[in-house]
Amino acid sequence: MIRFENVTMKYGANDAPALDDVSLDIGRGEFAFLVGASGSGKSTLIQLTTRELVATRGKILVAGKDLRAMPDRRVPMLRREIGVVFQDFRLLDGKTVYQNVAFVLKVLGAKRHVIKQLVPETLELVGLEGKARRMPHELSGGEQQRVAIARAVVKKPPILLADEPTGNLDPEISEDIVKVLDRINKTNTTVVVATHDQGIVDNFAKRVIELRGGTVIRDEQNGRYAEMLAPTSARRTRPAGSPGGPGRPARRPAEDPTTVAGSPADR
Amino acid sequence: MRLQFMLGEIASGIRRNASMMASVVLVSMISLFFIGTGLLAQREVDLAKGYWYDKVQVSVFLCTSQSSDVPSCADGAASPVQTASIKRELLAQQPLVEQVYYESSTQAYSRFKTQFASSPYLSQISPQSMPAAFRVKLSDPKRYGDVASLVSGADGVEAVSDQGKVLDTFFKILNLLSIGAVVLAGLMAVCAVLLMTTTIRQVAFSRRRQVGIMRVVGASNSVIYLPFVIETMVATLLGAVLAIAGLWALIHFGINHLFNHVGNGGDLVSLIGTDDLWAITPWMFLGTVVLALFTAWLTLRRHVRV
Ligand SMILES: Nc1ncnc2c1ncn2[C@@H]1O[C@H](COP(=O)(O)OP(=O)(O)OP(=O)(O)O)[C@@H](O)[C@H]1O
Ligand SMILES: [Mg+2]
Repeated sequence: MIRFENVTMKYGANDAPALDDVSLDIGRGEFAFLVGASGSGKSTLIQLTTRELVATRGKILVAGKDLRAMPDRRVPMLRREIGVVFQDFRLLDGKTVYQNVAFVLKVLGAKRHVIKQLVPETLELVGLEGKARRMPHELSGGEQQRVAIARAVVKKPPILLADEPTGNLDPEISEDIVKVLDRINKTNTTVVVATHDQGIVDNFAKRVIELRGGTVIRDEQNGRYAEMLAPTSARRTRPAGSPGGPGRPARRPAEDPTTVAGSPADR
Repeated sequence: MRLQFMLGEIASGIRRNASMMASVVLVSMISLFFIGTGLLAQREVDLAKGYWYDKVQVSVFLCTSQSSDVPSCADGAASPVQTASIKRELLAQQPLVEQVYYESSTQAYSRFKTQFASSPYLSQISPQSMPAAFRVKLSDPKRYGDVASLVSGADGVEAVSDQGKVLDTFFKILNLLSIGAVVLAGLMAVCAVLLMTTTIRQVAFSRRRQVGIMRVVGASNSVIYLPFVIETMVATLLGAVLAIAGLWALIHFGINHLFNHVGNGGDLVSLIGTDDLWAITPWMFLGTVVLALFTAWLTLRRHVRV
């Protein structure tokens, strides 16, 4: 469903690559966590997938479409096949939960009866039945993120991308959010979640792709947040004082989770 | 469904940015008012040219018994022989000379009497003191000089007057006025475009989250752009309607009124009327739409990434 072949991404001609010769293949209906230190290239990878960014080198195939050969005017068609969830929810303040979700379908020109059927159905899928008439500010963070997920999937995209969806949420709420993502994955939707959240990665035992300094250093099924060297401590094996990768200082020194697994309360 | 949704979006956009929209309306109104004034003035010049040039004559006044101080009138009133030779000379200039009318002093006197019935000088003027004249109509009024130089100073000719000279000054002034209006209109149009650009940027900024969501879910460019374009268009068209209302008022209450008072119902008439306004109205609307579309599209391309 998502296929990267030797993809390199440089933001500026003289910058170190944010992604360096990355190849990976995420099949239809898979669920993958994308992990790695801050600045390792997770968001870059997600933005390349939605063609928010265009790769400097290499080939990207998404839902069977070659992004390199894609003219700009075809990009909206690509994005209709992808749902995206952000860390900061990005709900429209002046609209109710229902209207936020219906907005997508209206923008895409769906028929009234389709909207009437899909919106409640999707709200139920994310566990928001009965909250349709609330305004975003009347919801908890977890509920707001559910609305954002509903909005991303209401058009029934085959791919769902989430960039740190639990970054602003408490651990238990994060669990619930990933459960919702898992439920969506069960409807044959490919789900990719970029995250720093060790708790959810370890609890759900999905495929884990780890980036460091723009390269894939680990890609395993039923993976954990950190390499399986010391499963109980879950400490990242990393040379002392070394940043995430060559030429790239880590933006968040507190990246190393000294907290107990499952409580990344710093975000 | 989508149409209704778009209309709703547009309406709420206009409501939320009411003051910005109002300034776009006003600036486009003022600039279109000046453009309209310029166009109407230009039309007035053209019409006036046609109207006046049609009437332009070179008048060749013949000597009277009282004009002996002029050298060519040393012999007193123009003799029939002199009169005939002047007429022959004028007719020799065909086709430049289209027609030559002879106006006797009695005819001149009676015309004068009707034209200036209330003038206190009327009593001092006798039919004998009014010169007889050849009124010469030219095929090309601009070449009156050729004819004038031909007969001025000839025996029996007291004076040659070219009405064209007076008219030329008049047209020059009108032309300058209309050019001034057009230049002003141009400046105002630049203001209008800049203001539209700023407004669209502002509105786009205030709606960046919504635009961002639209992009992310795969809305096509036109769906993203259309509300902005239509809002701008609505505002500028409203400005155009107001400008045309203003021009109508100007013609109806201003010009017509003025001319009716100053002109004594005779030669001085307002040539442009509301008909002329209706004639330029479609062009003004078309220009507005094109300009608004162009500005909106360009601004969006630059400032709203899709
Ligand atoms: N717009 C940009 N212009 C220039 N460099 C950028 C830009 N966005 C990201 N980068 C750089 O690219 C590298 C990868 O950034 P990216 O945002 O993909 O990391 P990330 O893994 O998502 O980090 P985080 O976990 O903090 O979100 C970083 O070195 C970053 O500084
Ligand atoms: Mg990121």
